[in-house]
Amino acid sequence: MAKEPEEEGGEFADFLADVSKEIAERVESLAPAPKPPKEEKKKTPVVAASERRKTPVAEAGLIVEWPNIADRVIEEIR
Amino acid sequence: MSVVNYGTREITCKIVYYGPGRSGKTTNLQHVYSQLPEERKGKMVSLATETDRTLFFDFLPLDLGTISGFATRFQLYTVPGQVYYAATRKLVLQGVDGVVFVADSQSRQLAENIESLQDLHANLADEGFDPRTIPLVMQYNKRDLPPGEISPIEELDETLNFRGVPHYAAAALSGKGVFESLRSISTLVLSRLSAPASKGS
Repeated sequence: MAKEPEEEGGEFADFLADVSKEIAERVESLAPAPKPPKEEKKKTPVVAASERRKTPVAEAGLIVEWPNIADRVIEEIR
Repeated sequence: MSVVNYGTREITCKIVYYGPGRSGKTTNLQHVYSQLPEERKGKMVSLATETDRTLFFDFLPLDLGTISGFATRFQLYTVPGQVYYAATRKLVLQGVDGVVFVADSQSRQLAENIESLQDLHANLADEGFDPRTIPLVMQYNKRDLPPGEISPIEELDETLNFRGVPHYAAAALSGKGVFESLRSISTLVLSRLSAPASKGS
């Protein structure tokens, strides 16, 4: 049957020593690399309200000829 | 998969003892348990029938303490060897990190060894593991029986160990080869330790 546990230098102690050595090596090689210092975020330049470019109505793609378009869609459906 | 978790500073590995019925899987765990110092002795869970056959599985948690700043735990399991407990074997294999295949050296048990090994491969594949690469060691148990009753190591190795993994002659009842096998599978498993895929996992 199973033997009595040995206090010093027993099978478990040897096993533990080997496992500890292996883990020490692995943990060292797997240690997460230190994070590089964070780059300072570029701040969005603040533009004074008076300097802001006002988008012309035409550039915004505003449809101004609704009646014509509606007529064409109805025509397509027919 | 065994993971070294830098967040919680933990290492956990699951090792399963696999093999045909009565090959000595539970005896392996009993020997390991018997050698643990009192302060590390957890509870070995063993579900056996009246005739000492493993009914469900054996479970031995091995708390190895803090190693290199990491709380290290090994979980040793056995599977029931009998053919009709296929579902249980599959269940126990979930999340396995390494396998000790405990073969019965008796010549008349060779067919059972082969069948169990095939069963292991099929179940590993079903669980999403690659049977060709998962950490594995072979243990040829019962070497203490009369030479006329057991197959030579070379023959067992040629028949069962086609991956060429480390193999050990053992007599688990007296403890011979038990810790050698455990040490070997532990080294193989630890060599594959990986950092968690995502933070905090």
